Order: sequence, then C-alpha cells, then structure tokens
Amino acid sequence: MAVKIHVTRPTKIELARLKKRLRLAKRIQKIIKDRLSILVMEFLQTVRESAEVRERLQKEYEEAYKALSLSVGYHGYAQVEQSLMVSSMPFSLHASTRNVAGVTLPTFQMEQDQDSSWFSPAEDSSLIEYASSAAQRCLSGTVELAELQSALELLGDEINKVKRVNNALEYAVIPGLDATIKYLSMKFEERDREEVARLKYVKLLIEKREAYAF
Amino acid sequence: MPSDQGPDDVIARYLGGEIGSMNAQLPKVRKTLTELLHEEHPRVVCLDGSEHSFKLDELKFLASILDDRERDELLLPMIIEVHSGRSELVVRSRLGVEAKVFARVLDMPVSVEKAGIRIYRSQLGSVRRTLKTATQYVFTL
Repeated sequence: MAVKIHVTRPTKIELARLKKRLRLAKRIQKIIKDRLSILVMEFLQTVRESAEVRERLQKEYEEAYKALSLSVGYHGYAQVEQSLMVSSMPFSLHASTRNVAGVTLPTFQMEQDQDSSWFSPAEDSSLIEYASSAAQRCLSGTVELAELQSALELLGDEINKVKRVNNALEYAVIPGLDATIKYLSMKFEERDREEVARLKYVKLLIEKREAYAF
Repeated sequence: MPSDQGPDDVIARYLGGEIGSMNAQLPKVRKTLTELLHEEHPRVVCLDGSEHSFKLDELKFLASILDDRERDELLLPMIIEVHSGRSELVVRSRLGVEAKVFARVLDMPVSVEKAGIRIYRSQLGSVRRTLKTATQYVFTL
C-alpha cells in the first residue's frame, strides 16, 4: 500500500519529533491489540453464556406453556383468565451499568420478594400456581438474556471500532511515519554529502587562489 | 512526493488520549466487600463519571468464601493488569486476600508475589465468568 509522506519542516527537530511519535504509536498499538484480544475473549464468553441462557430459557418457556395449557384444559379458559386478572407478581427491575475494558454495558438486577412472589386473592389450584412459578422463572431468564444480548451488541460495536483504530495504526499511521522518517533521514544524508562536496570544492578554490597569489 | 501538509496534531492528541480512554473505567475509589454488602445497589464511580455496578450474586459468593476480617480487607473491583506483550496478567494484591479468592475460583493454589498474583490468559476466562463485575482490567505499557 502506498503511504503518504507528510513533512512540515525538513529539520532535525522535526525528525526527532516524528521518531518520538512513531515510538508512541507503536506502544499504543500494542495496548490496543491487548484490548482487542480481551474484548474478543469477553465477546466469545458472552456468546457462550447467551447460548446457554437461550437454551435454558427455551426449556423454561416450553414448561411454562405446557403448564398453562394444562391449567386451561383443566379449569377452562375463563377461570384461568379470571385468576390471572386478579393476581399479581410484585417485582422491580434495577438497571445500572458495568464496565468491561472501557465498554459500558447495561446490567439488570431483578429484585423479587421470594415470599410474595405470586399473589392471588382467589384460591388457585396447584396447576395455576405451577404455571405462574414457571412463568416467573421465564421472566428472570428473559431479563438475563436481555442483558447478555445488549452486551453482545455493544461489545461487537467496540470490537469493530478498536479494529479500525488498530488497522489505521498498522496500515496508515505507522507506515506513514516510517516513510517520513526514512525520507527525512535520506534528505539529511544527502544534505551532508552535498556539504562535504561543497567544502571540498571551497577548499580547492582556496588552494588555487593561494597558489595564484604566490 | 512529500506533501507540504504537516502531520496532523489530531493524530498525536488522539494517540495520547487513547490510553486515557482505555483506562477511564477504573474506579475513583474502591470499596471493601463489607461496605458493598451493606449497600442496596452496590456500585463504584469510575474515573469517567460512569457507574460500575456489582452483581449481588458475586458479592454473596465472595462473602461465602471469606471471613469477616477478609471481607473488610478485600477491595472491589479487583484490578487485573494487562501488560502489553506479556502472556501473564497480574492481579494487585496488597494483603493477599485476593489470592484466596483466585485460588477458589481457579480451583488451584495461587501464590502472592511482590508484583501481585500472576494468572495466565487461559485462566482469565474462568475468572471473568465467575467474577464478571468484581474484576476490572487496566491496560499498562
């Protein structure tokens, strides 16, 4: 890939500044690579966890739907609906954030009083109660999955961003700085060679002048 | 041909700011496990002003493996240092309480050296899986 050489002033100070910048860019690239590997590891772990939760949730939903259909079959749709209308399940969801290698991820904490997890003023059968407890498990699983899914999206975005920065450093900034440093070094060497030639020529002129003077 | 456009200072500023932004998630002040267990919503404030919350399950797990004195000594989140170009990671441990936690999580004895507790990248997965919010990374050169 062709790299562009940027030279503001072809001076030795500029060369020293560029060398310093190159060192900094290389060090930062190392850290960015470390961060990238950590982010990828976190991403893969979240994928694995997400798959586990999804699988578990599917089973829980299956169980909940089975329990619900059993209740509906036994009591009839009207009674189940009536029970659901008067019953309540008090819970609160606390949303906050956690930080993973510079990425702010949402975290949800479901707070539920175990004693009053399912409240129904009517006397419900064990089938309806079982269906409700299965639904409750589904709810906490859904919250867990929501957290993991949003973490996946945010981590994926950040990985893309960090990759772009890494690529910019690897393929544009560092080669550009390298080329500029090389160009300046060659220019200074050329200037030195010209200077030596000029001095030799001046010395020759002086010698000639001295020879003519005698 | 060289262009007369100078190297953009934005790049230099960006590169300088990159490290700062990477470690902006570090907590301003770490809290002990005992303090966090007494909070309704346990959390610490980070350097960038954001909040880092702890999972109650993790805190309960830590409380279950530590005694009262150790709960007062364990500062959270535990900091995992990622040194560029090194395969191992270092967990800073002032009083050695972290060693007990990591030994339990990794299910193997862990020694505390002068620099801290050394763990390998392959072990990081199991650590982060168990202590998702109780640990945080710091990137160093």
